[in-house]
Amino acid sequence: MLHSSSRTGGNRAWLYLLPAVLVFVIFYYRPLLEDAYLSFFQWNMISPTMKFVGLSNYQQIFASKEFGKILGNTGVLVVLLLIFNFLLPYGFAFVLTQLIGNKKAQALFRSVFFLPSTISLAVASIIFLWMYNPLAGPVSLVLKAFGLESPRWFKESGLVIFALSTIIGWKAFGYNLIVLIAAMVSVPRELIEAAKLENASNWTIFRKVIVPMTSPTALYVFTITIIFGLQYMLVPTNMLTQGGPDQGSSNIVYIVYQYALVFFQTGKSAAFAMLCMAVYVIFLFLKARFLDKRVHYEN
Amino acid sequence: MNWKKTMALALAGVLSLGVLGCGGSTGSKSADKKVKIEYWHVASESFGGATVKQLVDEFNKSHPDIEVTAKYNPDMYKGLTQNLQAAMASGKNPDVVQMGYSYLNYANDNLKYTDLNDLAKQDDKDKNFLKNNFLPNVLALAQTEDGKQIGLPYSVSVPVLYINPDLFKQAGLDPDNPPKTWDEVKKAAETIKAKTGNAGFFMQEYADNWAQQALIESNGGAMLKKENGKVRAAFDSPEAAQAYQLLADMVKDGSGLHATNEEGFQAYLSGKVGMVCTTIGKRANFEKSANFKVVAAPFPVFQGKPRKVPAGGNFLMCFSKDPAKQKAAWEFIKYLESNDALTKWSTGTGYLPPRKGMDKEGAFKKVIDSNKNIQAALSTMPNLVKWASFPGQNGLKAEQLLIDVRDVILSGKEPAAQALQETAAKVNELL
Repeated sequence: MLHSSSRTGGNRAWLYLLPAVLVFVIFYYRPLLEDAYLSFFQWNMISPTMKFVGLSNYQQIFASKEFGKILGNTGVLVVLLLIFNFLLPYGFAFVLTQLIGNKKAQALFRSVFFLPSTISLAVASIIFLWMYNPLAGPVSLVLKAFGLESPRWFKESGLVIFALSTIIGWKAFGYNLIVLIAAMVSVPRELIEAAKLENASNWTIFRKVIVPMTSPTALYVFTITIIFGLQYMLVPTNMLTQGGPDQGSSNIVYIVYQYALVFFQTGKSAAFAMLCMAVYVIFLFLKARFLDKRVHYEN
Repeated sequence: MNWKKTMALALAGVLSLGVLGCGGSTGSKSADKKVKIEYWHVASESFGGATVKQLVDEFNKSHPDIEVTAKYNPDMYKGLTQNLQAAMASGKNPDVVQMGYSYLNYANDNLKYTDLNDLAKQDDKDKNFLKNNFLPNVLALAQTEDGKQIGLPYSVSVPVLYINPDLFKQAGLDPDNPPKTWDEVKKAAETIKAKTGNAGFFMQEYADNWAQQALIESNGGAMLKKENGKVRAAFDSPEAAQAYQLLADMVKDGSGLHATNEEGFQAYLSGKVGMVCTTIGKRANFEKSANFKVVAAPFPVFQGKPRKVPAGGNFLMCFSKDPAKQKAAWEFIKYLESNDALTKWSTGTGYLPPRKGMDKEGAFKKVIDSNKNIQAALSTMPNLVKWASFPGQNGLKAEQLLIDVRDVILSGKEPAAQALQETAAKVNELL
């Protein structure tokens, strides 16, 4: 009795899942397979013939200095994004929800911090281009007041990644902050009150109560910071540096775009896309291996 | 209540679209005349966009049987070529496009275009339109190595040296006597830096190598050469390295500026840079935006060597396949290249007109007479050379390598000679 009902239930479950699974297969996995297929060819998108080249696209990529440089850039970028869009909003969310009692001040800060999220990345890029202008921009004027000479932000490898990631930081900070605030507000008051009764310091409350209680949300913000952040980078990179100076600001997402739609070498671009996918898979594996276990799900 | 109204409006909109759609198609069958063609250009609002609109409107008014739609492509010729390639891949090609000179070989090798000579032959009134109205050296700008005419030169620009006379005066230099040689440019830049604290010189850093080519070739170097019938990189010569090193040295001692193109122009327009080397095509925009009187001088030379300035700008190409559209496109091209339309285009952008004799008579002569900056640019027209254009399907990638090496040299990471040699090897591998 029980047995048969669970079986028909299983079939029915598959039936219910089917539309979603179909959409997923058609729009997510089919392009992935096509991309894998394309990565074995040399093709410029308009030529009627696609030339089969086997693994040569991958061989060229692994043999080039470019690939190492791009992986390095992507690593630096991820660290910076985590600082600007994960650690900073985490700290700010704690301060805003637990340490500032004044409701009006809280609301004011929330909207001030959220405002940049509503501005398009293209506009933000142009604003920052002006801010960082080494001769006439506000940043250079501030540095000058301290007797320092402004560096060429978008022309020094290393600095350029920092300059571009501040644009993403400015843009994505507010949204992540709101999400984290929502998580922190929902931490039960009585836990915090109880801790306070036992004279726990703010730091102890943060570490022993807030961090474990908000860990599911934190994990979500952590993940989108990396996955979305890398994709956001396409806009300022394409507008301000085109991957320059000398590939100094290119990353594993931008290089896919550059090979496909700037150089029209779709095979190599597809190969880069597969490698990009591999980078994401490795990241998700590491996340599952080390972080998911520590997350505390209340229910 | 409100959403119901919105829904009703939306529904009405959809219905009327359907009706209009049907009406349109039956209408065109009965009228059977109006040929629709698409014109792709790179003129942004601050760079001649209004003029394109005006020219297209006037053409549509005077040609009731043709309707031209203009489409703007951002990111200059690179952007347009990318869009064009994507459009052709999906079978929806435009009819007339502005193609950058540096994409000449790439376009010839990769894009299926319509031969303008064939269109001219079918035109009973104007069989020799090309020969009659354009000088051979101008027509050559849109010809491939083996002399195939793949388009018709439309906009011509040359690099010039813009100076800020106010900064020149502050530094004790004579603004009426701008530097004529690169040694003088270097000295002037150092003086400006020392006396005013501002940067002395900036050479454009667009996503192309145009101005740097002028520098290299004016010093006796070359970009490309032919060896046993194959095109090879030639910019690893001592002359090229010496010319590039001059720029790098200026950047190193602080008298030169190395920045993104927009940053460099922003800085010049706000009075923070003494000299900028860029296209005469920016003239109208600079004159309007600067808070000082913009003065342009001819591209400087290297002592005792001839000046060589690559022609920048674009030529018109036709991609129509349908004979009726081809005919309409040809009419439109002839109109754009008419004396009257070219004068408007030049006034709106700062480009120089390619047509014969426009500096001798007509409306454009008046424009020249009243603007010394245009005269400075026109005076270098006899020194025009072709913009280096990489052949083959790796052409776009090769172009990028030249942009990359510019950053390597100007940031002082490697001496010019070494960096150029490495890049030449990489480019040769691609060609």
